[in-house]
Amino acid sequence: MPSSRDLAVAVLREPLVHFLVAGALVFLVLSGRPPNATERRIVVDEPVLESIFNRYVQSFHRPPTPEEIDGLVQDYIRSEVYYREALRLGLDRDDEVVKKRMRNKMLALSGAEAEATQPSDTELQALLDKDPARYAAPPRFTLQQHYLGADTPTLRAAAKAAIAAVKPGSAPDLPTVTSALPDRFDDASPSDLAAEFGDEFAESVSKAPVGRWTGPVLSGFGLHVIKIERLTKAPPPRLEDVRQSLENDWRFAAVRKAEDESFKSMLRGYDVVIERPR
Amino acid sequence: MRREILLAALLLGTSGLVAGCDQLKKVAGGKDVVVKETEFPERVLWGDTHLHTANSVDAFGFGVRLGPEEALRFARGEEVTSTTGLKAKLPRPLDFLVVTDHAEGLGATKALYDAPRLLIRDETMLRWYDMMHEGPAGSQRAMAEILDARGRNALPKAMLNQDGTAERTKSVWNGNIDAVERYNEPGKFTAFFGFEYTLMQGGNNLHRNIVFRDGPDRVRTVVPLDPTYKATPDEIWSYMEAYEKATGGRVLAIPHNSNLSNGLMFELTQPGGGPMTAAYAKRRARHEPVVEITQIKGDSESHPFLSPNDEFAGFGVAGWELNNLLGNQPKVSSMFAGEYVREALKRGLLLEQQMGVNPYKFGLIGSTDSHTALATADENQFFGKHTGNEPNPARATQEQNLGTRKGRFGWHYLASGYAAVWAKANTRASIFDAMARREVYGSTGPRMTVRFFGGWAFKENDLKGDWVRAGYRRGVPMGGELSASKKGAPSFIVSALKDPIGANLDRVQIVKGWVDKSGKLQEKVFDVVWSNPEKRKPAGGKVPAVGDTVNVATASYTNSIGAPTLAKVWTDPEFDPSVRAFYYVRVLEIPTPSWPAFDAVRYKLKLPPEVRVKQQERAYTSPIWYTPTKA
Repeated sequence: MPSSRDLAVAVLREPLVHFLVAGALVFLVLSGRPPNATERRIVVDEPVLESIFNRYVQSFHRPPTPEEIDGLVQDYIRSEVYYREALRLGLDRDDEVVKKRMRNKMLALSGAEAEATQPSDTELQALLDKDPARYAAPPRFTLQQHYLGADTPTLRAAAKAAIAAVKPGSAPDLPTVTSALPDRFDDASPSDLAAEFGDEFAESVSKAPVGRWTGPVLSGFGLHVIKIERLTKAPPPRLEDVRQSLENDWRFAAVRKAEDESFKSMLRGYDVVIERPR
Repeated sequence: MRREILLAALLLGTSGLVAGCDQLKKVAGGKDVVVKETEFPERVLWGDTHLHTANSVDAFGFGVRLGPEEALRFARGEEVTSTTGLKAKLPRPLDFLVVTDHAEGLGATKALYDAPRLLIRDETMLRWYDMMHEGPAGSQRAMAEILDARGRNALPKAMLNQDGTAERTKSVWNGNIDAVERYNEPGKFTAFFGFEYTLMQGGNNLHRNIVFRDGPDRVRTVVPLDPTYKATPDEIWSYMEAYEKATGGRVLAIPHNSNLSNGLMFELTQPGGGPMTAAYAKRRARHEPVVEITQIKGDSESHPFLSPNDEFAGFGVAGWELNNLLGNQPKVSSMFAGEYVREALKRGLLLEQQMGVNPYKFGLIGSTDSHTALATADENQFFGKHTGNEPNPARATQEQNLGTRKGRFGWHYLASGYAAVWAKANTRASIFDAMARREVYGSTGPRMTVRFFGGWAFKENDLKGDWVRAGYRRGVPMGGELSASKKGAPSFIVSALKDPIGANLDRVQIVKGWVDKSGKLQEKVFDVVWSNPEKRKPAGGKVPAVGDTVNVATASYTNSIGAPTLAKVWTDPEFDPSVRAFYYVRVLEIPTPSWPAFDAVRYKLKLPPEVRVKQQERAYTSPIWYTPTKA
């Protein structure tokens, strides 16, 4: 037993139905929609005149003369007549330029309110609580590093042995390579270290013990031995300290959310049928 | 912000918008953050001083719909959705960004796009309007025509209505200021105020990027200078001088794409002819301490025509050496000397010898000039010059014409470059000051760390312990100047680290330029230190090629050749104390795949043989100059 939807689909595929629908459309377009009283009234009142006047001033930086105003008003009336007749004939339909323009206007309207809204502290606090790690100040490492050279099995073994043999108060006994890599970092964040050595090294530092030499640790350059002297963890972020970041994120998301929601709410008023040819 | 401007355009009233933003800023507040400068620059900062968004007349026309806010978020390492709907995220954040939308018609294309159609009277503009609303292809066609018309000085009068555009420029500029200020975070990420002064003479590129040192209070007192009405470099310098005088602030200009100026960027004469005056030279040197040497539209270091003995000259010149920016004037070889940076540095020495002032004593940086709002110079993350060239299967071999004439193809565009700055802190003031003292370098994309010091008594064993501090104490860093000493030849400490997530280094070179006794310009490239020296013995004065591990089929390479770090103390073996000279460092990576190779893998393409699929990426430091004491 075909469902009513299947039936509708089948009917819609019928050439005769296409013909009838097309005919009805032609009839509708040619006969026009029934006129209504407001559509048939063109009022040039003060607000309209003011807007005509202002546009002129904006373009030409002087007020229009009375003759020019007359001309502009005649032009406004002409535009209105054409515009309304065009709408009555349905010329706005299936016009890509009109569609795009309308879409942009709708989009601008839906996002503008969010853009200009000032989020409340409660909203910002909620955003902060959702992902405190994103806004937290990073931990800070004060450390020494010795660069040993490119990664080779021999060098790895030597580094391991030297670390195992290291005596308290002294550094591992290993030949180091001089480079522009600083031997010492004071209060460096993981992102500072990642920029300098690569992500892998920064991760190793985050996991390394504090207060003794450890390694070998791999970086983009090769092998290192490191000693973390001090690790300072930041307290949880407070709203006051990260307000600007929170507002930026809130606003960025709010504008997109408003656009999306307004689209979805409008979409709910429609039945969307996608017919793929079989 | 983009949307507020859009709304404002709809409502045809901009004053309310500006007031609204001001208030917003006041409420948003933000604490005063004090960032301390270190004793000397400890960490190199990476950034882009040249990025366009939807507010640029051409970028919008080419299709981009992302504004300054998305650009700033992307540079800070956030994921954004590109105009064509692709997710984009930098593998590593940048440290700073200058949004440099074109001053001329700031927001003009967008305003045309957003205008009520009935208000557009000009037929040509109406046609462009309709083309732009057709979709991306039409939009790009419209843009090509607009650019071409601009190059021919044939833009419709309505688009040139100076008074009409002033208000719009001001509102876009204020919107831009608000976005930039929100994302500026001293100590962590610096967002600069700036714009591009797109000076063009008959399609010849004389563009400058303008970067402000200051905050919104000062910058809001001016609007970007539109080169449509003020069309010589003097005009932008006057604008800069007026700004500095009125506000007590600082601003600098960065010329770019000298390679598309058809010989006009670095002339030996006064612009328009006649001997260059000392006053002109002084003004230029004062306002333009840095030049952008590499970017998407080619590399301007040197051309094989000018440097026949330099086998690495000519990086990224293919396609760009044919004609000027708009492709409406072919290039002849006599123009190259006024187009490439190395030659300009030499010309500067000659001019200084003649009149006592060097107009071309500038430092070097790279930047993207991306028109997609995405500041990326990574080969595997290339979003193209403009939105039409965001990743797609056709872009590598498609014809790409800025004007409407022939000559350039997709693969001629480079995934280049970035600016490296040795600043003492990540703030507007510190980064600006480093640029002003030229302590900067340019990269074609990879983030190599390069140190360069010049002095009179550096010895091989100085490259030990805390040698960076010693470099600053006993010498001058890149961008600095040496004057005569009785201690013999100058010596240089040079050190290069590979990009920590990139390719190994092939070699480090020092490029020397000088004016000989007969007044001729000379240059020589010295291989200073290179990888695998035990196997690579110099022959005929040249170090043999490093080799090649690139697998084009998979767009990959291995670091089995080259070295992760290279360092050396070098003394000029041919030093003549009576001859003025400059020295800059060029660092070469081992060969790596270029962006078309990544496209070929991504889209299963078979590329024609002429397409560049691998290259040796590089960094160029600012020079150190030697000036003899007056005889």
